[in-house]
Amino acid sequence: MIGIAALAAGAALAVEYAADGADRWWAPAAGREFPAELRYANDAGTLTTLNTAAPVVTAGNAFFQPLGSNGRACITCHQPSDAMSLSVATIRRRWADTGGRDPLFAMVDGANCPNLPPEAAASHSLLLERGLFRIARPWPPRAADGSVIKPEFAIEVVRDPTGCNLDRQYGLRSSEPMVSVFRRPRPATNVKYLTAVGFVFEPKNGLPLPRDPESGERTSGNLMADSRARTLKAQALDALRTHLELHGNPTPAQLRQIIDFESSLYTAQSHDRWGGSLAALGAAGGPATLRDARAGDLQGTAAPIWKEFLPWQQLPAAAPGENLEQRAFRASVARGAELFTQRMFLIDDSAGITNMGFGNPVRNPCAFCHNMQRTGMDTAPGQVDLGTTNLPHANPSPELPLFKLTCDARHEHPHYGRVVYTQDPGLALTTGRCVDIGKITMQSMRGLAARAPYFSNGSARTLREIIDFYDRRYHMALTEQEKQDLTNLMSVL
Amino acid sequence: MSGRRRELRRALAAAVAALPLAASAVEPPGGTVVSFVACPLYRDTDHGRKSGCWLADDPATGERYDVSQALAKPQLDREVLVEGVVAAQDHACGGIVLKPVRTSTLVTHCRGAMLPAEGYPGRAYVSPAQGPPTHGWEERDKPLPPPPYERRQITVQFHFGSDFLNYEYAEVLLETAARYARASGARTIRVTGYAATRPLWLSGHALSEPLTLARSRAEMVAEALRRLDVDPRRIVVSGRSIAANDAGTGPLAEASKRRVDISIEP
Repeated sequence: MIGIAALAAGAALAVEYAADGADRWWAPAAGREFPAELRYANDAGTLTTLNTAAPVVTAGNAFFQPLGSNGRACITCHQPSDAMSLSVATIRRRWADTGGRDPLFAMVDGANCPNLPPEAAASHSLLLERGLFRIARPWPPRAADGSVIKPEFAIEVVRDPTGCNLDRQYGLRSSEPMVSVFRRPRPATNVKYLTAVGFVFEPKNGLPLPRDPESGERTSGNLMADSRARTLKAQALDALRTHLELHGNPTPAQLRQIIDFESSLYTAQSHDRWGGSLAALGAAGGPATLRDARAGDLQGTAAPIWKEFLPWQQLPAAAPGENLEQRAFRASVARGAELFTQRMFLIDDSAGITNMGFGNPVRNPCAFCHNMQRTGMDTAPGQVDLGTTNLPHANPSPELPLFKLTCDARHEHPHYGRVVYTQDPGLALTTGRCVDIGKITMQSMRGLAARAPYFSNGSARTLREIIDFYDRRYHMALTEQEKQDLTNLMSVL
Repeated sequence: MSGRRRELRRALAAAVAALPLAASAVEPPGGTVVSFVACPLYRDTDHGRKSGCWLADDPATGERYDVSQALAKPQLDREVLVEGVVAAQDHACGGIVLKPVRTSTLVTHCRGAMLPAEGYPGRAYVSPAQGPPTHGWEERDKPLPPPPYERRQITVQFHFGSDFLNYEYAEVLLETAARYARASGARTIRVTGYAATRPLWLSGHALSEPLTLARSRAEMVAEALRRLDVDPRRIVVSGRSIAANDAGTGPLAEASKRRVDISIEP
């Protein structure tokens, strides 16, 4: 900790942490107080989280309690320093600090497969090298009510470097067949945007969004990579039973505490090491904008996404002695914001975009899909096959499993035909539909600088690698300047 | 082969024989209607978002048509059924403009071509005129339609071979139907799907839809109505072939037969 900004009635209002401070790690049941504002230094600058329910006494709060049998709590994988997600840098530091004995490395999903030697770093290589947790999905898929969904495709294991998909206890041939895929944890913050319903209809399947039977409210479909849980309650239950190995049920009060806590958080980068304050000279970066705005608004010509940074398009004349690096960085961010909505390219063979009437290909900018104001999520909601997991577009990943999915005679993938090779079938593991193979729900673009690596399978180690992937995948032919501007934009979100 | 199947086959053969083999152009009141199957072409024009041009060549005449104004655009690697009315010429894309026009993506693969802009400007994207769909936050506050309530029919059209409810078209009709059903306290909402099971010969293809598609179209519409809070106990779902004497409606009469009728009976 490097400073406490203010004190009121004994409670810290704002607490700032250094990039290398030992107290960056929030352990379960540590009894710390979660203040109104937390600031964490990172390579790009400072990340800030606002807590509208502050101060939260974490002692006894279910989000911070090891409710299951493996010592983990929600906070284990949703760390404030990492935008309520978990960076691979933090994971490695935790391994070094604890000799791999932290509950973070629980064998259930913190290892490549539970049957490997727990003490060996190699057993946890996907977590240590790519920040990936094992997600075991039942096969065939189950509906929310537990009934079996008849899939439109058969699944075969082509490559199994972790050994888990062919394992007699944990694999597809076990008594309870499971498909193991490996994914990054999603940020448990800015939750009102994750659950926001933009339009009542989902353009990707033409149907109105389903309602939560308990609350009667429509569900956004934007919560999880494969949309297996559509409400915060369902997500919490899924996480408690799998990641925390809770046997039985949490109490209603515990579920309420978890949902209330994560719903009170707003997180964004607030300062840049070159650009300074992200809310200076008319810009509106930082988490306060997220806290104060309505969620679910669609961007458009009159109100383009990332307009928060467009005031930096017209910086006042340079003053004598002005920091020119800061000025150049701010101008670059503003150009990146404009590119995001104006730089057109051809999007092709991307199910969830190009098979629903827009045409294949379709000319559009980044903001076509990343269209929800202030987060860059898809209001639609955003299950799309970008090619991050489906071949031939996925990056080579010998360390990940490869599956061969063969659609039955009545179905096929709209762009790949009846046979699709994929590292992660994504949404199709929830729906059993061929059209959904490799679709991964877009996630919020906030706090990116604090939570590398990126994409659901951690295949982009840096923000620049995200841009490089898009440039290659969609033949964008971005200039070096454009790549830098877009990278800078993403670093301040 | 059973007697019943033999009888069906004879009837099918008679029906097919009665159809012209390349009936790709018809002259109804209001403009020439063209229908054909082709592999689409994409012209990479840049007039802002969604501004690329979609073209298709009629194999029977060799004419190149501009089908860019279809609600659902083609896919470059799939054959497409084109049904459209020849409209006033413009030079945005480099083809004879069809408007209205419907393009249905078929299951058959082909190798479409990407053309350079070649000086054609393309067209700026214009949002459909039906009005935006309801936002989540205004759904409960939107006023219901006032009385009097009488029997009302709303038709949702579909693309060939598809039960997909098209964005920027179907949601407006479905919302209207659901809101009318709720406001009127409808006793029965009949959802009747139709499939074009009689073969249509075009460009060397015999195009026919399976009867099961009629039911699945109706089920999609019924599911949408249920999700829009229409009482599920009052929804009656059925599917059937298009009747032989069903002439369709509007300038694209053949295309209009692939539909679901929602009959709301207060």
